[in-house]
Amino acid sequence: MNATNMNCAECRDNLVACLEELLDSDQARQCRAHLESCAACRAEYEAISRLHERLAARGRVAAEISLVEPVMRAVHQQRSKPERTTFMSTLFKNRWGFGLGAAAAATAVMLMVALLAPNAQAKAFEVLAKGAQAVAHLTSVHLRGQLRTLPRDNFSNIDANSDFCTIELWKQFQPDLKWRVEKPGRVAVMDGQQTVLYFKQPANEAFKLNEPTSAAFDTDWLHQIANLSSTISNELRHAQAQGWKLDLAEATGADGRTKSIVTVHAKCGLPDDDYTRNKFIGDADTRRVYRFDAQSERLEVVQIYLVHPTNEVQIFELSQIEYDQPIDPSVWQLNLPADVAWGQAPQKLPDNEKYANMTAEEAARAFFEACATNDWDEVGKFTSPVTGQVKDYMGGLQIVSLGKAFTSKSYGGQYVPYEIKLRPQEVNVRVSNNNPAKRYVITGICDSQGKLLQDLTWTNAPVLLPDNDAYAKLSPAEAVQAYCAAQAKMDWAEMKKFAPAYDVDNDKRQVEEANRAGIDPRSLMPVIEVGEASWSADQSAFLVKCRISETKKWNLALRNDNPAGRWQVDGGW
Amino acid sequence: MNSSEQDEQLEPSDAEYVVSSRNGCPDHFRLLVQRYQRPLFAYLSSRLRDPLEAEEAAQESFVRAFMGLKKLRKPESFYAWLIGIAGRVLKEQFRSQERRQRESAIAETLSAEIPSSAPEYPLEEAIAVLPESYRQVILLRYYEGLSCQEAATRLGMPLGTVTKTLSRAYALLRQELKAREGAEAIDK
Repeated sequence: MNATNMNCAECRDNLVACLEELLDSDQARQCRAHLESCAACRAEYEAISRLHERLAARGRVAAEISLVEPVMRAVHQQRSKPERTTFMSTLFKNRWGFGLGAAAAATAVMLMVALLAPNAQAKAFEVLAKGAQAVAHLTSVHLRGQLRTLPRDNFSNIDANSDFCTIELWKQFQPDLKWRVEKPGRVAVMDGQQTVLYFKQPANEAFKLNEPTSAAFDTDWLHQIANLSSTISNELRHAQAQGWKLDLAEATGADGRTKSIVTVHAKCGLPDDDYTRNKFIGDADTRRVYRFDAQSERLEVVQIYLVHPTNEVQIFELSQIEYDQPIDPSVWQLNLPADVAWGQAPQKLPDNEKYANMTAEEAARAFFEACATNDWDEVGKFTSPVTGQVKDYMGGLQIVSLGKAFTSKSYGGQYVPYEIKLRPQEVNVRVSNNNPAKRYVITGICDSQGKLLQDLTWTNAPVLLPDNDAYAKLSPAEAVQAYCAAQAKMDWAEMKKFAPAYDVDNDKRQVEEANRAGIDPRSLMPVIEVGEASWSADQSAFLVKCRISETKKWNLALRNDNPAGRWQVDGGW
Repeated sequence: MNSSEQDEQLEPSDAEYVVSSRNGCPDHFRLLVQRYQRPLFAYLSSRLRDPLEAEEAAQESFVRAFMGLKKLRKPESFYAWLIGIAGRVLKEQFRSQERRQRESAIAETLSAEIPSSAPEYPLEEAIAVLPESYRQVILLRYYEGLSCQEAATRLGMPLGTVTKTLSRAYALLRQELKAREGAEAIDK
């Protein structure tokens, strides 16, 4: 290259170096000289300069960001979470924050004396932090509360229409960590060595993690009440980033002592139409009320309300907290029946790829087809354990239709809508007129062999109806037919003439739940053919033979975030 | 210089980090976060007005990427895949912003809040289509803030190779942006 002759090709080769001021003074001068005389090269240089500026501006936007540590903390947290095996288990991902406090409305015994200083938010955090500090060195805690939930569903399941169920947490912090969480249908125990989840009878299934855990199987939210310190930073972050509101108030308790009350208005951030919204405690907009004793700074009361646009429903009340009380060692023992069915984590199969490559819809189809043909080995590739109860219920089903998979923001898997016809089942409906009204009413359901499956106890005996005579004339089979006809019409009042009110109310709730889920409840109603009645001396009652055909329309929950990478049926059946 | 010659000189590839992360060295994922945190954040903050939200979305994207690493069929396409995940996180953020706005009855319209219809195509998406060797140089120069000489030292390559790689990367980026934004936006 001479002093005057940088040609177009040479200039283009040096454009970046020129822009970056990497050329020596002579080269730079030659390059600039060429650019002044050549419009095409000048245009090229300007285009590169603009891109350079644009890139540099993007870099400046992100110059200060540092995500490595928070991401790696979250990653390690996710890895240490046990694999979820329960229905629609949710990934909490910091969404559950805790505040403390109690609303005046919720505590009638309390006298509100101060409310909401301008810096209430900051003060609320202070109360929270002190509360955490006050329990930082506990050796144990025992929480007992009431949660509106389906008794057998997940520990974090909520259902505003359900009755309250007792839910308890025992937790030992010292000398080594142990815990137990229990509700009517399931119990989880971490005995310091392993973590076991047991679904009580009739399911009689258990799942084991061969390691100690600090929380597992969707018990996180209860553990957080017991261990406030772990939640403060999340709470703060949500308040700042997502506009959660915290209120602070002071009140005098029934014991005459001052109480600090923090109320958290938590937003779950899920779209209104998200499938899991309001089904789990972390997937709902809630108002959480926490009351601390101002002197001891310890938590005394927790109340949680499900917040709808127009009303609130209380879903949780912590009724008892015991700090540092000795816990009976038997709490850490779980005496399982000998015939318990153990669930296994999915292992890699010889033909694993075939399954790992399936879509959720294909997996749902394969699962139902295997049930249809009673191919239980194949079913076992999609769920574990495959118990006798599963075989009885799902064996021989017919697939009516499968829909398009959909997701929820808070669920790591997918849902596949389905409609299946279950194999007709023979049962015996037990009826008796041994009551003051002398009419036949349903007192239980027996299997085809007459073995009692479900006892329907009348807590209040059947009453005399205004037209009792007409009902008293019905034969056992006619009474069952009349009940089925009322059920088909969803005539709850009529049904209550033949079955205990709690059982009818339970049906009603299921229908309402289906309505809310956008499912036609009539499609869920079993079709019942009523047959002959016969006297059972054993049971001192008539048994009416019935054949039940049931269609089930719901959403199968599947997830594949397991080491084998295969879709596993996680719930919804 | 062809890309295979370059590859020998570059830092471990995305594919190597992806494979080792999912084969039991999750801490190698840290190096991927290190490598892509800035372009990912820049991408998200071009779409979300609030830097806190962009930061949260970036974290969320990385965590989802980690959880889904086993599903990544082409480990060499990690960054493009990550940008795709971030796109889905963005959509969810927009939906929840929309809902929050409805709830708090803020008069601002969504279009004012979210510059989703901005004519400028996010550079970070264009960077995702570059071959890895070019992408690394762009990231070091602009998102790590290194000079060309510092980038050359980091990559163990001559300074001239860095400027030539940049030159080629610019050409590819302009080509990509031209296709996305139209000739006028980029070259006129």
